[in-house]
Amino acid sequence: MKLHQKSVLSFFHGYRTQAPDREGILLKKGARSISYQRRWFVLRGNLLFYLEHQADRTPLGLILLENCQVEPRLGATEPYAFTILTPGVEGTEGGRTYKLAAENQGELAAWLWALAGVSWRRLVALLPPLEAQYRELCQAAGQEPSSPPEDCGFLATLSPPSSFQELHEHFGKEIRVLQVVRRGLQSSDNRGSRSQAKGEQELNSC
Amino acid sequence: MAAVVLPGGRRCGTFLARGRPAARRARLALRVLGPGGAMRYNEKELQALSRQPAELAAELGMRGPKKGSVLKRRLVKLVVNFLFYFRTDEAEPVGALLLEHCRVTQEEPSGFSISFIEDPERKYHFECRSEEQCQEWMGALRRASYEFMRRSLIFYRNEIQKMTGKDPLEQFGISEEARFQLGGLKA
Repeated sequence: MKLHQKSVLSFFHGYRTQAPDREGILLKKGARSISYQRRWFVLRGNLLFYLEHQADRTPLGLILLENCQVEPRLGATEPYAFTILTPGVEGTEGGRTYKLAAENQGELAAWLWALAGVSWRRLVALLPPLEAQYRELCQAAGQEPSSPPEDCGFLATLSPPSSFQELHEHFGKEIRVLQVVRRGLQSSDNRGSRSQAKGEQELNSC
Repeated sequence: MAAVVLPGGRRCGTFLARGRPAARRARLALRVLGPGGAMRYNEKELQALSRQPAELAAELGMRGPKKGSVLKRRLVKLVVNFLFYFRTDEAEPVGALLLEHCRVTQEEPSGFSISFIEDPERKYHFECRSEEQCQEWMGALRRASYEFMRRSLIFYRNEIQKMTGKDPLEQFGISEEARFQLGGLKA
């Protein structure tokens, strides 16, 4: 099957004025090697891109996150490890397990958090009730309902509502997630050292 | 042994003399990037996605962007923000397009085209059996992008909050993770 790369690259590049959902360094275990490689990961929507370097124009690869499962991996030799399990073709082989690791607890929690809600399907289900409520409110107020903007530039001018309350909830939740992760890590014995990904790059190390 | 510089000036790293020359060249060939780049992806992931329930699926005429492309009958299937197209008698798609940052334009008489904003001259043409089917597809394709959906959700959320003073995501008991995706925490 041919995935039209230009369409994907357009998505990757296209939103230059808009920050991705999350980006940062993660260690990625190669498919055929036991060592972890340091990669720059960029999350946009339901796609997770990884690059050799942050400044690279083209990603090394991408992971389709729709219907994936993300879990911390407490028994791993690498600390702050987690897996992304992607579904395979139903009924035959399973999907791929991506073994990743964050650089510290904060990063691990933040990535788990960000990856948990990426599903397109999950988000699209929110649209009908929200739209219905909006139209009802407009009707009650005698106001003409308007449509969401077509233009991407709209987001740049939007100011966050109730920002303090949301920050309060956000950090509170993040602390709770970190506490769970820390308890999990304390209960396991693993303090593996981080592998150094020096030397030549293997072609199939990703 | 050699430092390889690829189109766009990207260095590919050095390759040690390992393995037979033919095998080395083959591995090198996999890594050489074309003008659009060659990202790695897992074909099974894409196949699995193509078998998911579709928002819309129909047999349409399809013509690729290259000059002199011929119209072919394809089973076209819209799944989340991807458009898959199959030969009508095959279970595996011929190809997939990611429907982000693209433009859907009506093309006379009852067709439409998809082009990507970064490359507006390259159009994927589709022909429908009726104007009605054409409008149905155009609407669905425009709503398919993750970014459009997110913009819409943020718009409704903000408008409702302005009118009621409350975040509608709270009322609906929508999860914290989903709210992250709607960027409520970003400036």
